[in-house]
Amino acid sequence: MTDKPKKALVIGGGIAGLTAAWELAQSQVDVELVEKGPFLGGHSISYCCKATDECVKCGACSVDKMLAQVVNEPRIQVSLGATVAKVDQSGKFTASLELAPAYIDPAKCDNCGACFQEFRNTGAIVRGYSKNNSPLYALCPKAAKEVDAAKLAKICPKGAINLEAKATKKKVSADTVIVATGFTPFDAAKKPTYGYGVRDNVITGMELEALIRQKGEVVRPTDLNPPAKTAFIQCVGSRDARLGNLWCSQVCCAYGLRMARKIKYANPEAEVKIFYMDIQSVGKNFPAFYTQCKEQLGFIRNIPVDVYPEEEGRMRISYADEETGARKDEIFDLLVLSIGITPGEDNAKIADMFSLEQDGDGFLVQKGEGVFLAGTAAGPKNIPASMAQAGFAASEALKYIGVTK
Amino acid sequence: MNADKKIIRIATDVLVIGGGTAGVAAANEVAGKGYKVVLTSKEDKVAQETKNGVIADMVAKAEANADIEIMKNTVVAKVMGVPGDFAVTLKTGDKAVERKFGAIVVATGLTTKVLNDAYGLELGPKVISQSQLEALLAQGKLESGKTVAFLVGFGQDGNPLVMERVLDSLTALGKVAETDAYVFVGDIKLAADGLDQLYAQARQEGVIYFKTTDAPKVSVDGDAMCISILDPVLRQQVEVAPDLIVVEEAILADEDNAALAEPLQIEADKNGFLQPDNVHYFPVKSTRLGIFVAGAARDLLSVEQGIQDAGNVALEVKKFLGDGNLEVPSNTAFVDVDKCTVCLTCYRCCPHGAIFWDSRAIIAEAACQGCGICASECPNDAIQLGDYADEAMAKAIQDGQGTSGKSPWIVAFCCKNSGLEAVNMAKTFGYRVPAGLQAIEVPCAGKIDMDYVMDAFVQGADGVMLLTCHNGNCKSDKGALYASWRAAEIKKMLASVGLPEDRLVCASLANNMGRKFSEISVEMERSIKKASS
Ligand SMILES: Cc1cc2nc3c(=O)[nH]c(=O)nc-3n(C[C@H](O)[C@H](O)[C@H](O)COP(=O)(O)OP(=O)(O)OC[C@H]3O[C@@H](n4cnc5c(N)ncnc54)[C@H](O)[C@@H]3O)c2cc1C
Ligand code: SF4
Ligand code: SF4
Ligand code: SF4
Repeated sequence: MTDKPKKALVIGGGIAGLTAAWELAQSQVDVELVEKGPFLGGHSISYCCKATDECVKCGACSVDKMLAQVVNEPRIQVSLGATVAKVDQSGKFTASLELAPAYIDPAKCDNCGACFQEFRNTGAIVRGYSKNNSPLYALCPKAAKEVDAAKLAKICPKGAINLEAKATKKKVSADTVIVATGFTPFDAAKKPTYGYGVRDNVITGMELEALIRQKGEVVRPTDLNPPAKTAFIQCVGSRDARLGNLWCSQVCCAYGLRMARKIKYANPEAEVKIFYMDIQSVGKNFPAFYTQCKEQLGFIRNIPVDVYPEEEGRMRISYADEETGARKDEIFDLLVLSIGITPGEDNAKIADMFSLEQDGDGFLVQKGEGVFLAGTAAGPKNIPASMAQAGFAASEALKYIGVTK
Repeated sequence: MNADKKIIRIATDVLVIGGGTAGVAAANEVAGKGYKVVLTSKEDKVAQETKNGVIADMVAKAEANADIEIMKNTVVAKVMGVPGDFAVTLKTGDKAVERKFGAIVVATGLTTKVLNDAYGLELGPKVISQSQLEALLAQGKLESGKTVAFLVGFGQDGNPLVMERVLDSLTALGKVAETDAYVFVGDIKLAADGLDQLYAQARQEGVIYFKTTDAPKVSVDGDAMCISILDPVLRQQVEVAPDLIVVEEAILADEDNAALAEPLQIEADKNGFLQPDNVHYFPVKSTRLGIFVAGAARDLLSVEQGIQDAGNVALEVKKFLGDGNLEVPSNTAFVDVDKCTVCLTCYRCCPHGAIFWDSRAIIAEAACQGCGICASECPNDAIQLGDYADEAMAKAIQDGQGTSGKSPWIVAFCCKNSGLEAVNMAKTFGYRVPAGLQAIEVPCAGKIDMDYVMDAFVQGADGVMLLTCHNGNCKSDKGALYASWRAAEIKKMLASVGLPEDRLVCASLANNMGRKFSEISVEMERSIKKASS
């Protein structure tokens, strides 16, 4: 019982990394959790609850729950703004971490939000999506360059803001590694005809998630009114041979339909249409769910190519009518692009560092000893599947380091 | 709160029901944690062959492990006792034995059903099922030079497991000389790794897919078969005269599941899988502590996912059994025998199978999840819940009255899993919240007694909120429902004493809905102020 506890390095603080870290800590393993961004939770911490009159099992609330558990677990040491620069793999893993400057000193910040109140519109101070993050706020170095530095430096009543903070380094040695570096959302600007980034009322599914989470409802970016007519275009960046993305992202039918129904539930007058190729099964009770969807939403089995601007920030979508094959035009107030999951931007670097492989699409493939994969780093999946794989990775890691009982 | 910790001894052997891949994998993983395992298979063998030979290895490992006892041709006849102390009767032929287990893992499999009726077809030499085709292909018995047509996705919504079988057969058919393959399909279910590539590959190799919303017309006239459809791309009627029609199969939960759910006292979902459709049970928990579900027992999962589940099961079993000394959490319910009239209300309403009965109601400490539903439903107030006893709740309400001082005084009873988190999120993020708001934590909305609400009003609260999880997200299944039923009752009572019904709000929230909480609480404050001005 007096053995020194084993140690694991978990890279990536999304739902997969959080779950793996939590499970390892439950088996009395110390964990160093390394997250590149300023907050824990990864992409899915920004997602909204999609419940109508009942929970639709989207899993978004599970991420907040897990995050709360992790930040309260003393065995888990979290490094934010951190990446692994180098790894030495002789027997144990010795990782050299590079940590971004701590412009907000977590030891001094008491989350009062004074800095955020003053600077939120400039983007110099940003707030995470979960109340469980600490600090709740982070300084964005790029935007901070554009604001009055003297004022920013003095705004914090606790003196937690230090604009002179320097990047630091740290060495961590670990008995095993879990790679949970996640995915990169498809960049919708790569489908230029949809006008993403050009027209303000064309948004991605990712942005719609955060919008509902923060505002509690769906509004058009330009006039903040609830849209009377919304279109979702599915498979944006997925199942697209021309882009070389020949995979189904496995999550966008689910989030698209669930949010479409949420819009309809909040505003029964609203019209919502889904442009799709194939609808993938969503959840355990898909037939019942789909029947409701068909009653409430319009389904058009056609992926439109062109989107044209109309008056008052509207968009005209032209597509081939299913019945007649003729071209049809329809005008929408809001267009949601159901973007998919693409390989994490650091995958090549990580693969190289830990002697892993990448599959033909660029996702990571398990190889070698002592390094285990969790979540979307290894391919598209939803929150529950990421959690299941993370638990499995933790269980394999425990076997590897010989923690059985 | 209970300061001194109570330890009880529990059994540590583990029963794994189901000798499929998930079951064998779970047995290996659980034994790897140092527990003794009994693995039962209702058949004469364990684990079927699958696509990728890992299975043989796993079976050999299980057979060689002295800590794993494999019982073939064995079924579960009876389950008694409670988590940590199950007494299970296992039947092998006519022989029955009773064994003690601390935890149980359910790893039943899947069954298939041929959907020929949906197409008005009868199976025969020229109309075969997906399984029959797979057998022909495996035995190399499919003749060359045939035209094969698949019907899939019209008899059911389908899923990637169904589609994968079709795609694998198409790959195999590609190797049979001069075969023409047509696939008539509704939605192509590709949401699994590698399927979109298989789909594209088959298309490149000449397989023709017709994707339509309406089912094709199939006519069989003696030996002549014809499938016709309106091609959505060409916009014309297309006819195919195949030599062989392959009809899709549904993949369904094991028929044995229902018979297991009852004695195990666990909740099944609407499709007969042994895990309720509720995110709190991810990945492998059941409604009852000490009982875990792996692979196809819980959902339509692939072999690989079943193996992943086995790892998760081992983690959960270890968390539950530990070294056999179980520390009883302070927040469990207990029955006052003097007040209990053996009405069995608690036994019926406990969502976690924690109450049994032995001439009076007994709550198993190792099984109670501390929701408090029994305590609130007991008509004789005979049950108290550790950290949330009636006295403590009454005191919390009273304390709020003393300290708030702000008006209007709004008492919010908050489920700690959802409502309380939303309230705290709103406060942390500086969203508007009524100044006189007093949030009182409850373990589950099912613990909000009508008495507490009435008490709050009697103490002078201007408004009371019941903040629950969304239906279907309650960790204890019906807690949110109980709360909403009670709220409806109380509203009637309020009306009878002349209080406006908007003084009571019952709302469902997720933990991430701070914004919504802010809106509804501010609205409540506004309407109270308006009424009193
Ligand atoms: C628009 C959209 C909506 C979705 N909605 C749902 C939904 O409603 N329900 C659902 O179940 N699923 C949904 N999904 C899927 C869900 O996002 C993923 O399943 C989930 O986020 C995967 O978690 P992860 O931990 O694998 O990856 P991520 O969430 O990507 O987290 C990875 C983390 O690792 C960090 N990281 C990356 N590289 C490094 C590095 N080199 N060093 C250190 N840290 C690093 C990142 O900063 C990030 O925090 C949705 C996906 C999309 C695109
Ligand atoms: S809809 Fe999603 S976020 Fe909302 S309660 Fe259900 S699982 Fe949680
Ligand atoms: S999940 Fe749906 S929208 Fe996403 S890639 Fe697959 S088919 Fe397209
Ligand atoms: S508190 Fe909940 S889990 Fe415990 S015995 Fe009562 S109803 Fe069952």
